[in-house]
Amino acid sequence: MSSPLIFHIDVNSAYLSWEAAYRLQHGEEIDLRDVPSIVGGNREKRHGIVLAKSIPAKDYNILTGETIHSALQKCPHLRVVPPNYERYIDASDAMIHILREFSPNIQRYSIDEAFLDYSYGDKHWIDISYEIKERIKADLGFTVNIGVSSNKLLAKMASDFKKPDMVHSLFPYELQDKMWPLPVSELFMVGPKTTVKLHSRGIFTIGDLAALSKDYIYSWLKKPGLLIWEYANGIDSSNVRNNPLPIKSVGNSTTTSFDVDNQREAHMILLALSEKVSMRIRAINQCAYVVSLNIKNYNFFSYSRQVKLNNPTDSTNFVYRTAKRLFDEMWQEEPLRRFSLSLSELISNDYYQLNFFEEDDSKEKLLDNAIDNIRKSFGHKSVFRSCFLYSGIDPLIGGVIMEEEYPMMSSQI
Amino acid sequence: MKVLMKPIEMIAWFSKDKYPIPLRYRIVDENMENKVIKVDKILFKEEEKIAGNRMILYRCESIIENTQRIFELKYEISTCKWFLFKI
Ligand SMILES: [Mg+2]
Repeated sequence: MSSPLIFHIDVNSAYLSWEAAYRLQHGEEIDLRDVPSIVGGNREKRHGIVLAKSIPAKDYNILTGETIHSALQKCPHLRVVPPNYERYIDASDAMIHILREFSPNIQRYSIDEAFLDYSYGDKHWIDISYEIKERIKADLGFTVNIGVSSNKLLAKMASDFKKPDMVHSLFPYELQDKMWPLPVSELFMVGPKTTVKLHSRGIFTIGDLAALSKDYIYSWLKKPGLLIWEYANGIDSSNVRNNPLPIKSVGNSTTTSFDVDNQREAHMILLALSEKVSMRIRAINQCAYVVSLNIKNYNFFSYSRQVKLNNPTDSTNFVYRTAKRLFDEMWQEEPLRRFSLSLSELISNDYYQLNFFEEDDSKEKLLDNAIDNIRKSFGHKSVFRSCFLYSGIDPLIGGVIMEEEYPMMSSQI
Repeated sequence: MKVLMKPIEMIAWFSKDKYPIPLRYRIVDENMENKVIKVDKILFKEEEKIAGNRMILYRCESIIENTQRIFELKYEISTCKWFLFKI
């Protein structure tokens, strides 16, 4: 049997590159990649967030996930273009179409990332990775980074090295030179909270983490700790799964038959929506980075907010807490008639184990799974939260796929 | 040639070949007048898939106001729209 050879293909500044390439194709003379620019909500829609930024925008310290308002303060001449998710799916599909010429075994990890298993290929990885990269650039007009290794984790770490338009390898024998000197926060799935914990015990580089004894890390951080320790040592045995197409977002909405004029009822509706939307995302083995809430008042005036999370989630409670926070930030205390909650920027849940590590919700994870299983066997309303008893509010709201109505990342006002 | 990317009205011939063949198009000029231009010759055509969006690019030649001009047309497959891309 041949030794495993995995490529991770990652589009550079995906939404922004796709937008730029599309616009050039349609006669726009400036390339968004060459000027400070972002993909986000419209300029007037001040509550939109930055979804992608150009490299020149990085020089203004503009961060993905910050509000457009704040980005414009950092760079007043920033070009802001609204997202167009339909087109991004086309771009992503076209890239996968090219990848399929090189291997039948491809995992779409997110809209702009894929793993390709080349273990049974007959060409050298250097030749093939450059061929893929150049084909994508020539045919589709955008650049990618390709990471190459013997497993998915290391391939993914490698594609994140210097950008754009590069191929990097990170084979196990290269760990010491290429990965161990990096700050521990750059290790896949180590988020801000974990970083603080690791720093508190003097672990600053990936190498520091790798050098700990297995028993020590396990007794300190338990199973999730063991996982990042394995990652630090380049250990990952997950397979390249042939995924179905990623879907763009999962959302649910409800129009109430009465005016909702108090926070308690509003929160209950958000809980009911969170229940359903989180169940749906778990059912398709995805986690989401972006939570968006749209509310419409009795005058049919609607407004929205969204937030990009540090770590993708599929937890009902976490989605609920986030929705509550978005709601409390924007509600003007007028009576409401409609609520829509959606989750977008979806990503495979392969590595979701560590989310609970970041958010300390391992029990919630178990609870979510238990509830999903009970509901699957005994019906959706076999278990529900007691606050809904005699409340007149349905404990699980939604079920209608509403992607078209509420496209990902939009911040409708 | 200069990039224009102006939407145009087109009469095209959908033959048995892979791509439609542009025959004549109508464009509104600077004076808001309609102008009809007959496509005399297609020098080459190529399909592009930039960002996954399929378009067919035609480099063409016509006599426009008694001068021979070279220009490029684009046909966008997803919208069935024609554009005067460059002239
Ligand atoms: Mg990317």
